[in-house]
Amino acid sequence: MSALERLKGWEAMMLALLCAIVALNGVWSPYFLSVGNFVNLFQLSIEKSIVALTMALVIIGGEIDLSVASVMGLAACVMAWTFHEGAPMPLAVLLALAAGALAGLNNAFWIAKVGLPSLAVTLAGLIGYRGVARILLEDRAIGGFPDWFNTLGQQALIGPLTAAILIFFLLFVFFAIVLHGSAFGRLVYVVGSNVQAARYSGVRVGLVKSALFVGSAFVAALAGILYAARLGSVRGDMAEGFELDVITAVLLGGVSIFGGKGNLVGVGLSLLVILNLRNGMGLANITGNTQNDVIGGLLILSVLIPNMWQDLHNKWKGRET
Amino acid sequence: MTGAEDSADGATAVAPVLEIRRVAKRFDATQALDDVSLSLHAGEIHALLGENGAGKSTLIKIITGVHQPDRGQIMLAARSVTIRSAADAQRLGIAAIYQEPLLFPDLNVAENIFISHQDRGAVVSWAQMFHEAESILAELGVALDVRSPARGLTLAAQQSVEIAKAISLNVRILIMDEPTASLSAHEVQELFKLVRDLKRQGVAILFVSHRMEEVFEIADKVTVFRDGRLISTRARLEATPQGAIADMVGREIDLTKTRATAARTDLVLSVSALGRQGVFEGVTFDLHRGEVLGFAGLIGAGRTDVGLALFGIEPATSGTILLNDKPVAIRSPRDGMKLGIAYVSEDRRQLGLVLPMSIFANVTLPVLRRYLNRFGLVRTSLERGTADAFRARLAIRAPSVDLEVAKLSGGNQQKVMLSKWLNTDPSILILDEPTRGVDVGSKAEVHAIIAQLATEGIGIIVISSDLPEVLALSDRVLVMREGRQMAILDRAEANQETVMTAAMGQRPANSLDGSAP
Repeated sequence: MSALERLKGWEAMMLALLCAIVALNGVWSPYFLSVGNFVNLFQLSIEKSIVALTMALVIIGGEIDLSVASVMGLAACVMAWTFHEGAPMPLAVLLALAAGALAGLNNAFWIAKVGLPSLAVTLAGLIGYRGVARILLEDRAIGGFPDWFNTLGQQALIGPLTAAILIFFLLFVFFAIVLHGSAFGRLVYVVGSNVQAARYSGVRVGLVKSALFVGSAFVAALAGILYAARLGSVRGDMAEGFELDVITAVLLGGVSIFGGKGNLVGVGLSLLVILNLRNGMGLANITGNTQNDVIGGLLILSVLIPNMWQDLHNKWKGRET
Repeated sequence: MTGAEDSADGATAVAPVLEIRRVAKRFDATQALDDVSLSLHAGEIHALLGENGAGKSTLIKIITGVHQPDRGQIMLAARSVTIRSAADAQRLGIAAIYQEPLLFPDLNVAENIFISHQDRGAVVSWAQMFHEAESILAELGVALDVRSPARGLTLAAQQSVEIAKAISLNVRILIMDEPTASLSAHEVQELFKLVRDLKRQGVAILFVSHRMEEVFEIADKVTVFRDGRLISTRARLEATPQGAIADMVGREIDLTKTRATAARTDLVLSVSALGRQGVFEGVTFDLHRGEVLGFAGLIGAGRTDVGLALFGIEPATSGTILLNDKPVAIRSPRDGMKLGIAYVSEDRRQLGLVLPMSIFANVTLPVLRRYLNRFGLVRTSLERGTADAFRARLAIRAPSVDLEVAKLSGGNQQKVMLSKWLNTDPSILILDEPTRGVDVGSKAEVHAIIAQLATEGIGIIVISSDLPEVLALSDRVLVMREGRQMAILDRAEANQETVMTAAMGQRPANSLDGSAP
């Protein structure tokens, strides 16, 4: 009951923050409040937003996946390379998705079957998958994809919304249902809260974890393909460092780094907060480095404030007798 | 050993070492302590009794500096003191030992003993530390390798390390919060020898326990708490267990009442020569419908391991298991569950329950599949219905089944765990320490539930270190020692003496036959 209240409190805080940022930005720059700007804003980091959805599931499950950005790069490079070698584009896309799934299976094997910590396994993945991507493309940038592919990432389909944005919304709804409505989602919370109790209750922990990592890598591969479609060309260092932005968004969304706590609504709000904050700062001519400092500070505050609130709450309660 | 020998004889015979004066403490809507006064003298063992939530823990937390009292005073040797933190308490010569030892699993035994010594400087002399640790343990009569990590020690051994830790700090006031909850009868006696030693050295001991016979064996004074108030303080010689229980619960409870014996008719489980390499071997017994088979023995005798093997968590490596006359292989908890076996763990908090989740989510967890609609989504209304039914049936005291399990008392958590496994419709129920850390009232309720389940035809195995409990519940008692089955005693021949004799390695002449009748 009170866990639910706490979550709601968190979301209310994020929502208030979001409104404040939007209002402030609107005052500073009249251009900010246009629909075009909002869509543009969203579009600019849509791939990270997509990956944040599965990252939220992984972290709620008590694990972490540091390899997502490298899997994005790997998938895009596999696609570009096979296309460059003469494969038709649809086949290249399928192979890229397969490469993502394979990377996820590799992560899952070491984590769920062998029992190594995901931090180490996916750190190795971060390095290893990036290595494969760079071997495939060396120093080249491969582009010249068919038009239908490029429009996937660049052209508005419904109203001002591009395919990538639509895919994000579909996945958001899908994963929200999976996490909050399905048996699998329940087991993700259980495994993230107490993996031993899960085992003693007959939960197939290995299967749950495997599904999380394969899903995470598969969605990362999809995001990598969409990123390639938006940029129109692929390089070996594509999406490098994205994993940290993704994890930041998830944690700011109220997901506990220790697992077992959080929800997708919080993550959605946190994505909007970060986007609007960055955009507002951009419009106010604040440099990227300073923007990073602000986001970092926000992350610390997001952990600090609920704790301080709890302390104050306790003290106040203690005094009234 | 630390040079802190300053005030070993500071306490006089007249003034109490510790005096609590009219202390009160409130949390939210709960008055945890209400106008409590209590004094503790040097060389005195003062027992605190009370159901969970009666205020014992709050008092302990105030004395150890975890909580600050809203009102009232704490006097140490006739001086008023404020204890703001555990470090303050330690400086004042107060130490506490808890039911669940708080050791650092990756540090070795010696490091754990000296963990609180902040005056040892930056450079650790390992040889000296090992030597000092060994001499403390030798004084206690405990055989432990001070170089081995705390991980993997039995609970009893961890408890000894905690006591060694307190001794190394030269405590004057030692608080023991259910120190015997996880110990077997033999280990309790070892601990008591130690406690009496400390008493002779003039240490004042505050002793919290749910085991009445222990309290009356060791305490000089007995204080009973109920609902945050101090109900009575009596010298042990003037108090009686029945009177103390009546004070605790406000009603009379008879814990020694034994159940009616079941007729042994339908065989459900037949185990022969069951073993797991290096853990236990040669376990042979039959279990009938409606029978309660007790597993007695010291901690570490392998009783829990047999339970884990039957449920499939740590599968057996030898022997055969016949379920309803058919041989079965149990390789995982899912195998166990499919065969109608349920195992209720001794460790509620780590292995039994998902504490941050709701009562209903815990109850339905093993059979979540049953609660899905045709789209694969969980029907929480159905889950709540099941949980509500169990809440009524087992008298789980919670305002709603949406409540986090972490917020329940030990007894109610135990009932949630029972609900969870009863919901799998087991034909065999293995209960591991079903009343550990549970208050007297809930304990009687859990016993009644077990008796009721047996009449409903479930075959029940009760693993317990609480010998009176095993004797009160069981139709037969299987006794283990060091991974071997020593005896199976019929109710008629099972008593404290025969069970302990077998558990200590003396085989009673006529009880070797594993497969009665």
